[in-house]
Formats: sequence, structure tokens, C-alpha cells
Amino acid sequence: MTLLAFNPETARTPTHLSADKLHLGYRDRKIVHDLSVNIPPHRFTVIVGANACGKSTLLRGLARLLAPTEGTVLLDGKSIHQMPTGDVAQRMGLLPQTPVAPQSILVADLVGRGRYPHQGWFRRWTRDDDRIVGEALTLTGVGDLGGRALDELSGGQRQRVWIAMALAQETGLLLLDEPTTFLDIAHQVEVLDLLTDLTRHQGRTIVAVLHDLNLACRYADNLIAMKDGRIVAEGAPREIVTPDLVERVFGLTARIVTDPVSDTPMVVPLGRHHVAIAAE
Amino acid sequence: MNTMPQPHEFIDIGADVAGIREALARRRLVVIGGLALLLAALFTAAMVMGDYPVTLPEILTSLLSPFTGTTQKGIDFIVLGVRLPRALVAVAAGVAFGLSGVLFQDVLRNPLASPDIIGITIGSATAAVAAIIVLHWGGGWLASAALVGGLATAGLIYLLAWQQGVSPYRVVLVGIGIGAVMTAMMSYIFTRARLVEVQEAVTWLTGSLNGSQMKDAVQLGAEVIVLGLLLIPLSRAAGALELGDDTARALGSRVERARFLLLGVGVTLCALATAVTGPIAFVSLMAGPIARLLLGPSGGAIVPAALTGAAVTLCADLIAQHLFFSVQLPVGVVTGGIGALFLIAMLITANRTGRTS
Amino acid sequence: MAPVLTHSNRSRHLAAGLALLLALMVLMALASLAVGARAIPLGEVINALFDPGTTGTNATILRDLRIPRTLLALLVGAAIGLSGAIMQGVTRNPLADPGLLGINAGAALFVVLGISIVGLTTLTAYVWLGFAGAAIATVLVYAVASLGREGATPIKLALAGAAITAAFGSITTGVLMTDATTLDAFRFWQVGSLAGRGTDILVSVTPFLAAGIVLALVTGRLLDAMALGDDIARGLGQRVLLSRCVAALAWIVLAGGATAAAGPIAFVGLTVPHAARAITGPSYRWILPYSAVMAPILLLGADILGRVLAPPGELQVGIVTAALGAPLFILLVRRRRLAEL
Repeated sequence: MTLLAFNPETARTPTHLSADKLHLGYRDRKIVHDLSVNIPPHRFTVIVGANACGKSTLLRGLARLLAPTEGTVLLDGKSIHQMPTGDVAQRMGLLPQTPVAPQSILVADLVGRGRYPHQGWFRRWTRDDDRIVGEALTLTGVGDLGGRALDELSGGQRQRVWIAMALAQETGLLLLDEPTTFLDIAHQVEVLDLLTDLTRHQGRTIVAVLHDLNLACRYADNLIAMKDGRIVAEGAPREIVTPDLVERVFGLTARIVTDPVSDTPMVVPLGRHHVAIAAE
Repeated sequence: MNTMPQPHEFIDIGADVAGIREALARRRLVVIGGLALLLAALFTAAMVMGDYPVTLPEILTSLLSPFTGTTQKGIDFIVLGVRLPRALVAVAAGVAFGLSGVLFQDVLRNPLASPDIIGITIGSATAAVAAIIVLHWGGGWLASAALVGGLATAGLIYLLAWQQGVSPYRVVLVGIGIGAVMTAMMSYIFTRARLVEVQEAVTWLTGSLNGSQMKDAVQLGAEVIVLGLLLIPLSRAAGALELGDDTARALGSRVERARFLLLGVGVTLCALATAVTGPIAFVSLMAGPIARLLLGPSGGAIVPAALTGAAVTLCADLIAQHLFFSVQLPVGVVTGGIGALFLIAMLITANRTGRTS
Repeated sequence: MAPVLTHSNRSRHLAAGLALLLALMVLMALASLAVGARAIPLGEVINALFDPGTTGTNATILRDLRIPRTLLALLVGAAIGLSGAIMQGVTRNPLADPGLLGINAGAALFVVLGISIVGLTTLTAYVWLGFAGAAIATVLVYAVASLGREGATPIKLALAGAAITAAFGSITTGVLMTDATTLDAFRFWQVGSLAGRGTDILVSVTPFLAAGIVLALVTGRLLDAMALGDDIARGLGQRVLLSRCVAALAWIVLAGGATAAAGPIAFVGLTVPHAARAITGPSYRWILPYSAVMAPILLLGADILGRVLAPPGELQVGIVTAALGAPLFILLVRRRRLAEL
């Protein structure tokens, strides 16, 4: 389907990410408790939960940005903290929640930084590098913004540039923390479609934290619902998303219907107003 | 887009990207070339100008005299014994200060960060002042005291700021704290010492290139070159650090180690230069921002900052020597003035976030 | 469920804390009156305070030396604490401190020029010279920072401050290097001291410092809005330019007056607001009063220590505050997560 240059080795090798009895926290606060999870390879996994439930912390722990207080994170069976960080970076890419941009860096330059793990001390830039950066820019729809400075762009454009950087890292495993913030609905769908392509046609493994429950239900192959630092439910959306789950995880009364377009669960919230049919 | 883009659509973008990258690299080369030319011009001026004017052919003959054996009595002394060492020390110290400043600013992600402000230069200075006034040291011993003072202060700051890693914010704050203690110690010594000693110390504190010796020039030059070479592999890590700790780690950079090494090189460069010339004000603060202003969006400010530091120091020394007919100012006084002018120029061209270009 | 710390709850806690600190400040003031080369028993101190007609050596010492000195310490302390907090709020930079924004450099330059050119060496002369220099330096800093687009943004203020400090510093050093008598006088002024500051100094400086303190306490609301960024501040209805001018006026008067009266005591203005913030959280409505009270406590403590640590002479207060304050500050940096500004 696509001839997007992608290292076939990393595509075929199952990049199996898992956590075993993971405890994560900062100095005085424990956030994630005794969490074990298997991220299925070649699938799109989405983590959802209310604010401050620990989903970003979990992602950071999986991405080895945060050292666990107990337990381990395993990449293909090996503890991620024992592996050289350069190796990990070639297999796992990350889009953090609030990325820091240096002074007025150009878009093409920033996306190019994604090639860092593949370039040794003295390796020069190759045409392949340029092509991959170009592809990443095109895929995220910012192909014509290459020469612009980052701080001139809108929030949505900037977000897509950061995603492009993560793509340019060319990893089999991609972790994204709230990649759809700041994006308008068309671009949200575009990005999520892109991520789906990456799993289906390139065999990559994607883990994303999403705040929009309905988009999560539509796009996730595997949904992880978290509350208070623990996993409440895990599985295909149509199997686990029930009104009871939504109530427990989000504190929201809702009805679950079937999305007429995608045939996946759709959460219809019941608020205090605009309830045409009486709640059961 | 409803389908993934087809391959042929990618090729053009790849070329665009390469074009952008090449344009950035070109600008960087132009800046570096320009600075190098400026430096060469200043160096020549430093050799030619003075109470005893020397012509270019005479300079060349002097420089080649170790090989050709042709000696020109007075001229050789002036060129080889006075002006050449002085210019070389100015360049070496300028490079060292410029590099240390840009490294601090990059690693600590604060345009006001520099060894001057973080307290390291003050550590060198306090040690030197104590050496001058309390121990009555001079020459090589004094230089060693300054060096040890600077390194020890840096080590102390790093240790105190370390807590499961070192955050830029903590380093800055601890540095200011330690700096304040050192300043207080120095002030105390000043109030208790004899005026003559205080004068001597103040002279050293202003930063001066007077009496530069060839051996100092060679030694400092060699040290700067070695440390500069160390920076080549580290510059990659500095680029990653720019993107914030999280992204840098995600890209596979060993953030703590990179920070430690980059700061270590910066501190050592600054301490070594301070030991030879005394603290030359503001060169380390200025060099980075000026280089960034010239570079615009093309990154890699390290080499340009080194050249800028050298150019500023050399230019300041020329002014210091020749501005007033009767009085020779120490270079530190002039760099302060130039520093102010450049900062103001930066402010005029700064964009809405206060960042230059 | 844990009890929620509501807004009013928190306000009550903070008010209680402030009251406690005020009490501590009064105690320190009394101690400052009692302690010194000649120790005066508290009973006599209270007597003299309430009965201005008391005679005797102790009463004279109290009236002519200790009371003005203590009052000055209180005023100068509050002024430094407040100006430091304001500067950090306006520039949104943890490195902002009166020293870095040109005040000290300006005061020093004018003092040095005054001594060197005109031969003025009295304390009162220093006060006026220092004030003038500080005011001019600040005006220059603001003017320079306002050049170019967008006016005086935080980073540009900090950079302009550094620039003016550099420029003035050069001239000052130039003069000091060539004029030994000036150096001799200057090295004692520049260390920061409350010694020998009598009623005349107190009287000349009090109107400015008092006015400045009142003005500063009012800027709390302005600073809170400014901390959120210019855009949000405007959205909240604040006139950003006007706010910055008001803040600048407050800080010229406070920091300039303090440096003029006591010489540069730079460290306190930087660290006390950080310490205050660690207790009160990010709202300037609380940071300002806390800074205004904590700084005099530190200053008085340092002054008292300075009087007893090195008899028969004194250790200047500028030295003691650094020696005391710095380790405390570093401890604070390590222990608490000092909120990023």
C-alpha cells in the first residue's frame, strides 16, 4: 500500500512492551500502583481515564522517562532500564505532553532532530535522512511548513510538527501523550487515521493517551481504562466499554450506543439538560 | 486526505528538507567565516598598532625568525615578546570564556546563565583575592589558586544542586547562593586589608592582559584546544538537550551525563582562562547571544560563540590600549562597556518573546 | 476524604502565619535595641521607648544610635524584601534581584563619582548620591528594555539590567583603579552596613521607603495578573504598561532607597521572596507582605549577630546576611520544590 521507507526489520520484529508490577511516583506522591500490562504488538492501544488518574505517568514510565520505584518495564523481555538508551530510542519513540521548543527553530530542523538516535557521533546526514524527514512532514500535513519557524505556527500546526518529529525517529514502537490536543476535529481524525495506517500497514505498535473517549473507542484496537493509578479494564472497546465502566472511571452517567459509521461503542453522556428521552 | 500519500509526492519534500538544511548550514558557514576574517583582521591590528608602529613585512619577518634566523633587534622584542603573546592570550582566553558562556546558557536553558552569574567566576576571584591579600601569592601560585577556587566552587555547586539528578533551575539558584557567600567573603577581606593590597586585588579582579607571557599563551592555547576537541562529540548531546529533558531522553540521550560533561568543560575552560587573565567581565555572557543573533534559526552556536568571544576580547584589548593617549585601561573595563552596547543592540532587534531572531 | 483547604481556610492560615512573623519581628527589634557593644537591659529599653524624657547614657545610646538603626533595619529590610519580590514578579526570572537590574551598579557609580569628583564622603551624601544613581539606572534599564518591539518584556528587562550593570560597572571600576582614595572609601560602603546610620539618615530616607512600601503592597494584585502573561493580564482588564510602570516606580523607590541608606545588600532581595513563596504559594498578595516581614527579620538578625560576633568592632550586615542567608537558601532549594516562576 505505501512505500513509505521504513526499516523492515523494525516493522517485522514484534516490539513487545510490557510492565510488571510497576509502581511509579514522584518524591512524595505515589501515582501508579502495582500495575502490570502487556501492550499488544502491531496494534493501536489507547489509554483513557479522568484527569490525574496516572495515564501520563504510566506513559512516561513506559518510555523510561520516569524510573519506577518498584517493578520493571520490559521491552521484548529485557528490562528497559538495563538497555543502552540509544538502543531503546531506536525502537521506541515518544511525543511528550508539553514538548519544549528551543528558540525559533525551523520546522524542518526540529523534525530532523528525530533522526538523532540513528546518527552516531560522526555520521553525516544522508539523503535517506532527508527523505524520511520529508515523509514525516508530509504524512502529518505540514509538508509546506518546513522553512517556517516553530513559534510562528498555530497550536495545531505545532502539534503536528512534534508528531512528525516522533515519526521521523522511525521506531517500531511509538508512544504519544495526548497527540490530539489543540487539533481541530478534522486534524484529529487525520492524525488518528495516520496512526492506524502505521499499525495496519507498517506493523508499528502505537500507544496513545487520548482524552476524547469516543475517538478512543473508535480507533483503539486495545483500550486501557485507568483510575487512581490502576487499570480498571483492558481489552477491545466493544468488549469493555459499558455504562458501568464509564461511571466508574469518569464519574459520568452515560448510555452506550453503536457508532453508526465505525460500528464501535459510542458514549453518549447524560447531563442535566438536553435529555430528550428519560434516563433509565 | 483519505489515502496515504503516494511515494512520488514524497520526493519533492525530501529535496525541500535537504534544501532547508543546506541553507541553514550555509548561513552557519558564512557566520563562522565572517567571524574568522574579523578575528584575523583584529589580530593583525593588534600586531601592528602601538606606541612603536610595526609594518606587516616586519611582523612577518619576526614571526619567521625562528626558522630563518633573521633577527631585527627592537622589532623582535615588540612583536614576539609583547604583542604576539598578548594577542594569543586574548584569543585563547576569549575562546575559553565564549565557549563556557554558551555551554552554560545551552545546558541551563537561560540566556542570563554564565559562569559569572552562577558564582563560578566569583569562586575563582575570591580564591585569588584571598591568595593575594592573605597569602601574598603572585604569578603561578596565584593562577593555581584561581583555578582551584573556580573548580572547587563548581564542584560544590553541583553537589549541592544534585538530587536524583541536576535540574537547571536548581543549579542556577544554588550558584547564586554560593556566589553571594563568596562575594561576602571577598568584601570582608577588602574591609580588613591594607589599601595597597586591596588595590592589587582590584587590579587583578578587573581582568587584564598586561604582561602576558608566551608560555601562558601556549599553555592556555593548548588547554583550550584539548577541551575544544572534547566538545566535538558532545555537541550532539547539547543539541538534544535543547529540546527539553523528556524529548532528549526519548531520543536516546543520556541527559544527566551530557549535562555534567558539558558543564564540566565549561567550568574548566572558564577557570583556566580566569587563572591567566583574571575575570574578564561579560565575555562569557555576551558571546552566546551575539552568536545566536548572527546565526538566526541555524543552530550550532558553539563554534561561533568561541570566535565571538575571541573577537570581543581582542577588540576590547585594542580599545583598552589605544583609546586614551596616556592611560592604558585593563581589558575588563572595556568588555563591560562593549557588553552593554551589544546587549542593547540585541534588545533592539529582539522579537516579541524577547528572544533574538 | 481529607479536609479541603479552601480559599478562606488557607487565607486564615496565612494570616496567622503573618501575625506570628510580625510578632517575631517585634521581638527581633527589641533584641536589636538591647544588644550591642554595650548591653542594655530590656527594662531600660521599654522605659526609654515609652518615656522620651529619660536621661542617662543608655537612653542616649538608645535614642541616638539604636532606635534609628533598628528602625532603619526594619524599613530597609522591608524595602529590600518587597523590591526583590516585585522584580521577580515583573521579570518572571528567578535571577532577578536588585543587583542584577542595575540598581546597585547605578548607586555605586554615583557614589564613586561623588567621592572622586566632588570629594563627598559623608553618609548623608552617599544616601542622596546612591538614590540618584539608582533612579537613573532604573530609568535607563526601562528605557533600554522598551526599545524594539513589544516594549519591556521580562527577558528584555533582565537583559537590559545586565547591560546597564555592565556599563556602569566598567566606569566604576575604571575610576576605582585610578583613584586610590576613592577606592579606600568605597570599599567600606559597598559591603552594605547599618553602622553609624543615625537619625538624620533615617529622617531623609523614611518618607521614600514608607511611601514605597505602601505602593508595593498595593501592587500585589497587579503582579498576580502579570504572572499569567501579558495576554491573560490584558484579558483580565489590566493595563499592562501602566502596571509595569507602577511596579517600576515602587522598586526604584524601595531598592534605591535601601541601597542608598545601607549600601548594597543584594542577597536578601533575591532569597527572601523565594522563601516567602515556598510558604505562601504563588500569589503575590501574600508573597509581598511575607517578604516585607521576613526580610527585616533576616536583616535584624544579621545586624545583631554582626554586633556580637566580632567585638569590639562589628561585622557588617551585608556580610552576615550572605553568610547566614546563603546556606539557609540552599537548604530551601534542596528541600522544597521551589515553584518555577
